[in-house]
Formats: sequence, structure tokens, C-alpha cells
Amino acid sequence: MLKHDDDIITAIASGQVESAIGVIRVSGKNSLTLLEKIFTKKPPYEHRRLYYGFIKDKQNNTLDEVVVGIFKSPQSYTGEDSFEVYSHGGLVVMNAILDRILSEGARLAEPGEFTKRAFLNGKMDLTQAEAVATVISAKSKRALMAAQNQLKGNFSKQLSKIRDRILYLMAENEVRIDHPGENLSQMTVNDRLAILNEIKLYISRILRATEFGDHLFKGLTLLIVGKPNVGKSSLLNLIVGEEMAIVTDIPGTTRDIVKESFNIKGIPFSVLDTAGIRRTKDTIEKIGVNRSIEAINRADIILAVFDASQTLDKEDFNLINRLKFIEKPVIAVLNKTDKPTAINEHDIPIEKIIKISCITGDGLTDLENALEKIALGNFDDTQLISLNSSQKKALEKAFNICNQLSKDIKKDIDPVLISVNLLSLADYLDEVIGRITNEDMLDVMFKHFCIGK
Amino acid sequence: MRYPKNYDIIVIGGGHAGIEASLINARLGLSTLLLTISLDSIGQMSCNPAIGGLAKGHLVKEVDILGGEMARNIDQTGLQFKILNRSKGPAVWSSRAQADMTAYRLRMKYTLENQKNLDTKQEMVDEILTEENRIVGVKTNLGNEYFSKAVVITTGTFMKGKIFIGLNTYSAGRAWEPPSERLSDSLKSLGLKIARLKTGTTPRLDARTIDFDSLMLQPGDDDPIPFSFRTKELRRPNMPCYLTYTNEKTHEIILKNLDQSPLYSGIVESMGPRYCPSIEDKVVKFFEKTQHQIFLEPEDEKSTEIYADGLHTSMSYEVQLNFLRSIKGLEKVEIMRPGYAIEYDFVDPTQLKHTLETKKIKGLFLAGQINGTSGYEEAAAQGIVAGINAAFYLLKKEPFVLRRDDAYTGVLIDDLVTKGTKEPYRMFTSRAEYRLILREDNTHLRLAEKSFKAGLLNKDEYEMIQEQKIKIEETIKSLKKTFIFPNEQTNKKLKELGSEIIKTKTDLAKLLRRTEMNYDKLREIVPDLEELDKFIKQEIEIDIKYEGYLNLQKQQIEKFKKYENMRIPEDFDYTRVGGLSNEVRGKLMEIRPTSIGQAMRISGVTPAAVSILMVYLKKYDGKTDSTS
Repeated sequence: MLKHDDDIITAIASGQVESAIGVIRVSGKNSLTLLEKIFTKKPPYEHRRLYYGFIKDKQNNTLDEVVVGIFKSPQSYTGEDSFEVYSHGGLVVMNAILDRILSEGARLAEPGEFTKRAFLNGKMDLTQAEAVATVISAKSKRALMAAQNQLKGNFSKQLSKIRDRILYLMAENEVRIDHPGENLSQMTVNDRLAILNEIKLYISRILRATEFGDHLFKGLTLLIVGKPNVGKSSLLNLIVGEEMAIVTDIPGTTRDIVKESFNIKGIPFSVLDTAGIRRTKDTIEKIGVNRSIEAINRADIILAVFDASQTLDKEDFNLINRLKFIEKPVIAVLNKTDKPTAINEHDIPIEKIIKISCITGDGLTDLENALEKIALGNFDDTQLISLNSSQKKALEKAFNICNQLSKDIKKDIDPVLISVNLLSLADYLDEVIGRITNEDMLDVMFKHFCIGK
Repeated sequence: MRYPKNYDIIVIGGGHAGIEASLINARLGLSTLLLTISLDSIGQMSCNPAIGGLAKGHLVKEVDILGGEMARNIDQTGLQFKILNRSKGPAVWSSRAQADMTAYRLRMKYTLENQKNLDTKQEMVDEILTEENRIVGVKTNLGNEYFSKAVVITTGTFMKGKIFIGLNTYSAGRAWEPPSERLSDSLKSLGLKIARLKTGTTPRLDARTIDFDSLMLQPGDDDPIPFSFRTKELRRPNMPCYLTYTNEKTHEIILKNLDQSPLYSGIVESMGPRYCPSIEDKVVKFFEKTQHQIFLEPEDEKSTEIYADGLHTSMSYEVQLNFLRSIKGLEKVEIMRPGYAIEYDFVDPTQLKHTLETKKIKGLFLAGQINGTSGYEEAAAQGIVAGINAAFYLLKKEPFVLRRDDAYTGVLIDDLVTKGTKEPYRMFTSRAEYRLILREDNTHLRLAEKSFKAGLLNKDEYEMIQEQKIKIEETIKSLKKTFIFPNEQTNKKLKELGSEIIKTKTDLAKLLRRTEMNYDKLREIVPDLEELDKFIKQEIEIDIKYEGYLNLQKQQIEKFKKYENMRIPEDFDYTRVGGLSNEVRGKLMEIRPTSIGQAMRISGVTPAAVSILMVYLKKYDGKTDSTS
């Protein structure tokens, strides 16, 4: 939270790490007056200009040779007057400059405080602020590009379109309340339902886009299952592209749940590799198998591996039976296609079957395409959305209210009752956009930012 | 002369606002003076001879529970009573009554004359006397100076009133009554912003020249329900109204003579009410409609004057006569008084606090049409709130403010002081967000406590209402806990009553929730259920049938209250807040909202600006209470 109205906040934006160039960000109403005191180049400072000079300490000793960029209100990131110092990237020198700025009355920014100020100064709405967080934490270039799209405000525009439709329904409904006998509204029950369905469709699309967006922005977890020695570890190595799991011919050597992250087609994945699902009396193996069940719950996609060079045995059928009760997407991977095929794939009641050879790499592209399809559905990257959990909850509530409204409008009940639900519907949407919000929520919201953003 | 008696409060104007303001002050024990241009016009109904109507019935009942007179007065002088929208949901039920306007006016006059602590005098106030932005009294046209600590102005349409009939204009506060020419200049010199508004009325017709037999009869309800919770029984006549329609011929006459209308010839430029338009407006704006409803309403039990509701007009006398005679039933009609338009000065209500005190002058309160509203009920609601607050100001008590979730009156006043108005403001159901809770039927239940705590309701009345409340709550609780079982007898009875049979153990509340069910039918199934008062049964049915929606509305109110409870100190310095645009800052400094909630309702104040305000308030000297 801001501590004073004209607080100046500062932080090392490039982070507390050694690098070629360090960036120290300063923002606040009187930040340019502060700059004057520490910088050899004196005003005038022009908006969006770079100035070369030296940062001096109080005794006028040079701390560093720097370039300073000027960003004036309101066209700066925060909406306030601000500047950035591009210094040498050593930890000592960056912290010396930071201390110098602090000594002139600035204070250390809290995590996300720059973005929070941008929000408070009307530079962005909540969905855009959420996108900033996503841009920062993007795990792949593809995720980054998609988040940029939301940052530009495309999603906000979509939401205000929905809001307009709700307001339209509200206005129409009000006419019924105030002028019941006069038939001023020409809309039939079906007309109103059509608009409501449009709203519902929009919201459910957003919810789905968020679900798939989470896959791209936060990643998915893969679980590889199969009886011992069908090539689970080899498959993992093939996907990841490096030796990660231990590969042996002795059944049961990949005992612990190994978790490692990598990208497939720009989508972040992690893998839970396990001892496999099999009945065993061996206690150590049992621990592994129990973990596997837990792993199924944690996984987003399951790769069931079979040895294509052998016919299915009892253990394979046990696995198949087990997978029948799992509601998560499953891909059957038939490994060892480099050997003569013995397996009868009609015995495997799994819709998606990929044939692969971990030795030659044949079929890898098919598998990657199948994973991408499951991860992102039919969504184009530009349609994917990142929301925080309270925003998601608000949207889900909005969706439920739509269902109630459908019923009520179909029955053509008292418009006053319909208005009660319409009001809540609009409220929930406002929560997503951040139209009405409170300080506590802002604090939570901006906490997950890094310092300097 | 300097008048020898000093008063606590002076009320200027004896209309529907002035009556409530002066009565409540006198009833609260303060020495009160009512000054009016004409003592004969106290409680005069300048326009339609009716009280209540859509959303207005709510206001009347709110005035009643706060100790006002309007409801009691109409209960004693009504000519027919009706609940509008009875076939619709309870949120839009509204009481309306035709009034014997002569009886209404006289009963009000006698009530004021017989009220302890209240003097009524016939004098015109020309000037408001202040010292250092504080009220000290008023000066009248007779040169008398009356001294008081508070003044409530309720001038209606009288300040610089100007009447238009065709191309003729003359100065008047109401037909044939002198206007107040000096008072608004006095207000202007005190620094208040004044603007003009317009309204109008209809021609009054001679009943002896109307062919009622050819028209549709519109009687009142057979079992009328009184406005006041205090009225035990209504003993009034049920005089009918009549319905007729304009036709294409009527419209043709109006359209042909628009140059005879001051509205269309450019003489009147101020805004008239969109919601209650003149007949010439209706004909021009709704060109495609071939007819408009006209209600012919009695004005007085004994008089032959008939009010033609729906025919507000300022056309010339000749045109009025011609178009009237084109209407079915009015072929031979005689006009007794013509319709006219009136333009008058009003004070921009954004200059007021929620107490209706001006922000500029301490002790100066405004109520009624002077604040840009229209309607007797809107006037009375403001009158009582201004009156109570003037009294509390003198008694140094906490201001009496009704919020949007308390009452329609709260909505009315919050709208006025937050948004101002560009046309005469009329109350509507759609203006109240929480209308499912703020119903007309439960007015006394929801406001009794607030009223009693403020000393506006006596103990007996309060306890009587509390008993009703408890009865309702306890019966609902017990219905939820009483079960019936699917036996043959029960299901047979259910079928007889046109309801589905039950297959499992069912509680009575669930059964009552069925559309076709009511408490009486429930008693047929479960004979040992207690017989209850009609009103109690009605409230139980509403509470149970609408439970889900009522709960959702309660949640919405909680959310609303959170922002209302984030108070903004009166002396808050907006120049300290960075990040606000000049436009937003200007608006905030002008309206000076008392809470974040109110700030959100000011047009042009962006959500981002509200967020910034919240951040600053949280740390504003630790004075702000953000908990609810």
C-alpha cells in the first residue's frame, strides 16, 4: 500500500542478479526532482529521452556511469513521472545506486507496486494487470505472445461486449417493471433468451479459454504408465530430448516420482515418471505403486505405454481396465515399432493411439501433435486467457446465474425477480474486469508480482 | 418590523413538502412557523386529484411510518382506493387513491391549525437572512423580519413562476395565484445555483357536459386497503373514474396547431418531464400511436369539476376546446379551467447534503419541487426528511439519513444530491436497486425501528409493529419445521386444491412455495394451523415464495453497504489525491460524496478513480472506518 500521497518508489527492475546492464526503476510525483539531485545531467528532462551522465553520491563521488530514461506522467508505465537508470550490472554498483536513491527520500517498492500504481492511475484494468503477471511468469515464448495479447486489452473488450448485452437485458426488463401494461418492449421471451444464450456462450467460451490458457501459461503434467520395461523412461528421454530418467532393463528401477519441466511446441509440460502400475508384494515397489495412484490424480494427461512387439498380457489388461475409470485424457503409446509388430491394437479401447519407436524417433511428431491438441483444444493462441482464481470464481458464478435466468425468463416470471439475478450477473462481471474492487483485493492481486514490476 | 417572537424553525410554503416539514418539527416539540402566500391553499393539489401510484405509494407509506400526515389525510378524504399491479409481483404493488381535493386540503389546514407549537401565517418571504453562512431568519413582503435558527424552503413552482396558455403568458405560482418574485434572487445572492424547469397540468371539465354512459367505468377496489398503518378501517365512498381515448382527429387538431403551443413555438425552452409529457409531446413523439388513454377523475365529492388525466397541455384555449370535443364522451364538453404549462426556478440539488441541508448555508434546508422533483409524494418524502433533519440540527442529534437500501425516499434523495436532475424528477420502481426488499407492503416493518429510534414513532405503535414482525418470523420458522406425509388423505386434498401430490415427507414451507398454494389452502390440508391476520398471511407467503431471490438481494445489499460504510470525511482534501483527472476531481469537489459508494454513483467518476480514492482513504489520518 502507498504510504504517502507523493511517495517515490524504487527497485532494481533487473533483479538481484549480476548481469551486463542493471535497470533501476523510480516512480513518483517528484521523482524527477530526485533525479536532479543525484545525476550530473541537469534538467530540462524531456519525455521519452535518454540522458547520459554520472550518478554521484552525497560527497559528489561518482558511483557509476549511466544512461537515464525519462517517462513523464501520464505516458509512463505507472502513469506517474518516472525514470529508469541503466547502470553497469554488478550487484554492488546497482545497490549503491539504489541506496543513493533511497537516501533522497524514495522507498523500496513492494512486489507489484509499479503495476498497482499503473492500475490505480487508470493505465490498465485488472485483466490487463493479470496479463502483466502472466507475461513475467511466462514459461515459453508462445505463452508470452499469448499473454501480450491479453495485455493489449483484447479480453477486456470482449468482457465489455458481454456487459453491454447484460445492460441491454436489464434496460429491457426495467421497462416491464415500470410500464407493465403498456407493452413498450417489443421483445418476446425467445428474443430475451437469445440474448441470454449469447451471454452464456461468451462466458462459457471464456471459461474454456481460461482452462486451456492455464495449460499454456502454467503448463500441464504428464503421467507415463505401463508395465515394467515397455520403454517408459526411453519415451520420456525422447520427449525431453535428454537423458533424464534412469533407463535400465531391470524392471522397477524408475522407482521415485521424477518431475522435470520442458516445452513441447512451446507449451510447458512436466512429467511424473513412476514405477508403473502393477501388483507387487515388494514393499518398496508398493510405495511406488501407491504413489502412482496419487500421480494419476495429479496428472493432466496420461500416456499409457505398451510394447508393440509383444501381445498384450494380463498386466497390460489390468492397466487398460484401470484406465477405463479415469476421466482424464489418455493416449495409448505403442512403443518399439522398430521391431516386428505382435500387438493387436483393437484390444486397446483407447481412442487415441500413437505408434512410436523410441530408438528411431519415428512417431514423435504424431505424439507432440496429439499433446498440443489436448493441451490447447481448438483455441487459437490469441484467444487464450489468463485469470486469477477469484476472477474465475466470479465467472463461474456468472455462468450459474445465467442458467437460473434462462429458467426464469422461459417461465416469464415477475421482471422484478429477473432483475435481482441480472444485477448479480453484472456485479460478477464487474469483479472480473475490476470495475468495482477494493483495496484488500488489490493487495492480494498484486502480491504475486516480482519487485520492480 | 422585527417580529417579537423567535422561532426554532421557519417553513416557507404550505404545500405537500411544507406540511410534513412543519408538522414533524412541531410534533418534535420545536416552535415552528409556517409562512405561506395563501392560507387557503395549504395542502392544495395543483395537478391531479390523486395520492400514490406506481412507486409513489411506497413514498406515502414511508412518510407515514416516519410520522408524516399524507397517508392519514388521504385515508380520511379519498374517493376511491386501488392497489395497482395486483396481478404482478409484490415489489410493484402500489396503492393509489382518488382524493376529494377540497376535503384533503381542508383537513390538512385544520390539522396544521390545531397542531401544538405551530403557527401559520399568510405572508410572502422575499429574503433569507444569514450571518456568516448561517441562517438567522427571513424577511417578508410586509417588511416583517422573523428570526429562527433553521429554515426549510418548500416553494413548489412559485419562484418566478410563469404560466403559458397558448401564446399568452403571465406570472403566477399556480393558476391565478401570485408567484414569489424575490426569493430566488435572495438564494442566488447566497451563492446557490438556480435553473429553470417546466411542468404542466390538464384542463378541468364540467361533469354535467360529459357523456359518461358511453365511457368505460373504472371503480376502486371493493376491499380497499388504507395507506396509513394507523388507519384501522376505511369508511370512504368508492367513486368511479372513467376511461376514454384520444383519436386521429384529436391528434390532427393538435398537430395542425403546434404553432399555438409555447413548447413548439420556442417560447418555453426549459426541460419538461419526459415521463409525464404533455399531450402535444405525446402526439409528436409517438406519432405512430393512433390513440392515448384519458382518465376522467372526480376532483371533489360534491363539485362537478372533472380532471382529465393524460391531457397535460399548454395549447391555446381555443385549441384545447377543439381537441377535447373530438374525444368520445366529451363531444359537448365545457372547460371549467384550461390546462397550462408553468415554468419556475429550482435549485440544483447537488448543492444539498443527504439531510437536504444546503452545503453552503448552515440551517437552510430545501424540499420538494424547489429541488427539481415532480409529484406530491416526492415532495412529502423530502419534506419530512428535511423537517426531521432541521429539528435534529437544532437538537444537535445525528443526521437522519435514509440510504438506498432503506427506502425509496433514500433512493430519491441520493439520486438528487448525487446526480442532480435535468427534468422534473419522478419516482420509479426502476430507480430502486433493492426493490424486492423495499416493497410497499412491508414499509412499516422495515422502517419501524429506525423511526422509533429517532423518536418519530411512539412506543405503542412500535410494539404493535414488532409483534407483527415476530409473528411473521415465528410462523415461517414453524412452517419449515412442520412436515406432512404422503398419505391418501393429504394427497386427495392436494389434488382437490389443484396441486401436485407429494411422494415424500414434505415441510409446509416447501408446499407453500408452490405457485398455486397459499396459507389458507395450507390450512385446509393441515387444519390445526393457526388462523392469521390477512396482512400477516400475505407477508409469510411473500417471504417464503421469494426466499431465494430475497436472499440474493440481501447479499447484494451487503455488498452495497460495504462501500456505503467507507466514509469520506466532509473536509477531505481532493487536491492531495494524485492520479485523478481534473474532471473527476472537479466533480468530487462539487458533490463532496459522503462515502465511496456515493462517489461510485457520480456520473463521470471512473472505477479507476474510485480505486485510487479507496487507497487514499484507507490511510486518511486513520479516521476512516472501512469495516461494515
